[in-house]
Amino acid sequence: MSGMKPTNKKAQLLLDAAEAGHVPEVVAMESVAGCATTFDPGWEVDPFGGVASLCQPMEADLYGCSDPCWWPAQVPDTMNTYPDWDAGKPSAQGDWRELDSVFPKK
Amino acid sequence: MNRISMSLQTSLAALLVLLLTATSLAAPKRDYIVTASKPDRLFVIDPVARAIKSEFRIPGANDFLGAIVPSPDGHIAYVLVNKMESISGIDLDSGKEVFRANLSSPGERVKCLFSFDVTPDGKELIVYELPVKLGLSEYEVEDTRFAVFNTRAGLDAKSIRQFPAPRRVHTLLSRKNGKSFFAVGFDLYEFDRATGKQLDQRGIRNWKYANHSTPDLLAFWPVSEPTGVFATPIYSSVPPASGSGDPVPKTALMTLDLASGELQYHDFEDTSALIFSAVLSPSRTEAFGVYSQLSRIDTRTNTLAQRIDLDHTYYAVLVSSDGKEVYAAGAMCDVTIFDAATLEKKGNVKLTGCTDQAITSPRVIRR
Repeated sequence: MSGMKPTNKKAQLLLDAAEAGHVPEVVAMESVAGCATTFDPGWEVDPFGGVASLCQPMEADLYGCSDPCWWPAQVPDTMNTYPDWDAGKPSAQGDWRELDSVFPKK
Repeated sequence: MNRISMSLQTSLAALLVLLLTATSLAAPKRDYIVTASKPDRLFVIDPVARAIKSEFRIPGANDFLGAIVPSPDGHIAYVLVNKMESISGIDLDSGKEVFRANLSSPGERVKCLFSFDVTPDGKELIVYELPVKLGLSEYEVEDTRFAVFNTRAGLDAKSIRQFPAPRRVHTLLSRKNGKSFFAVGFDLYEFDRATGKQLDQRGIRNWKYANHSTPDLLAFWPVSEPTGVFATPIYSSVPPASGSGDPVPKTALMTLDLASGELQYHDFEDTSALIFSAVLSPSRTEAFGVYSQLSRIDTRTNTLAQRIDLDHTYYAVLVSSDGKEVYAAGAMCDVTIFDAATLEKKGNVKLTGCTDQAITSPRVIRR
């Protein structure tokens, strides 16, 4: 945990658990797919703290993340919430200009 | 009687000659790569010709292509489609849909996150289901389950058996004897195919790898050909040799022999690159892993033998049945062929319209 600083309440809880010796109760849910169930760093940073090990180019990973709802904060979830986001746009590298932002329904 | 007997003998001899001729004319088996791409395409690629052999459309794919599971004879590809809610069986000769299981029903939405397999006799599909009851004012998460389908059930297949399943399963793999199947999740589980009784639970999260932290893995590519061994990278860390400081991240190769059930883990490097998926060579002396680099791992010494940069990220890696070529596929719209000994690029097949394979799991069939 050295070098890492919690930026939200959940991360702080994880840090507290480490100090209290309860890490097994809050360890990352490995091998899980689906909305918001991973602790992967995300599209901002790779596991080494840089960006070189993110998918190259980002279009290679675009539908690989939207289809299984991998990082719904960064890429719309086409599994349930925005199923038509990529409809008619089968090539991320060719169609990326046509992919729109999405906004929560009120 | 003699004339009848002689006539019968002549006919039998002619039939024998015909059968022998037909056998000798039968083409020797060869490899093909099966992959899928958005919005509904299924491809059969001839890796020798470096060309697409067949291209089909999957009805009701709904812009989603997931795991591909070929029938044991290589004639049907079962593909997860329709936002993970349907499995479609496509005849790889005619392109016709010959099997369809729509997992959801009115009031219940069922997703299958990558995990299903066909039994070695080709008669049943075992599917891991995540059901959610869709109420008027709320959703109710239901218990996960295994559902078994008869592969001859046609286009409106309904499950013929169901039994409870653990949560967080993402890969199903039939044991070679057909009596049970493995489920890869938090741990490695084994279940009786007929009764659903849990036969075994061995460590992944609870592994017994001395001095290693709880591991992490991403194993959505249910590839076990050509060896019958499922292989995947698995990540953990060990305490630093100096005794103080940060843990040292390690990449290991996890292998599960689908015949013997033997499960092994072997570190092969201090983690220096990501690997999404891996495959074992026919000789079992090497494995190949892929992501933005292609890695060759010596499984005799458990060391990294070679690593090259790729033109772009690939999710999936396959190896030819003779072990001479490696295929990088998945993610974007091409399959690249490499010499297995040198990792020299030997060819590339671009899919029609450059449509994305995304998270589909390309497979090698031999027929």
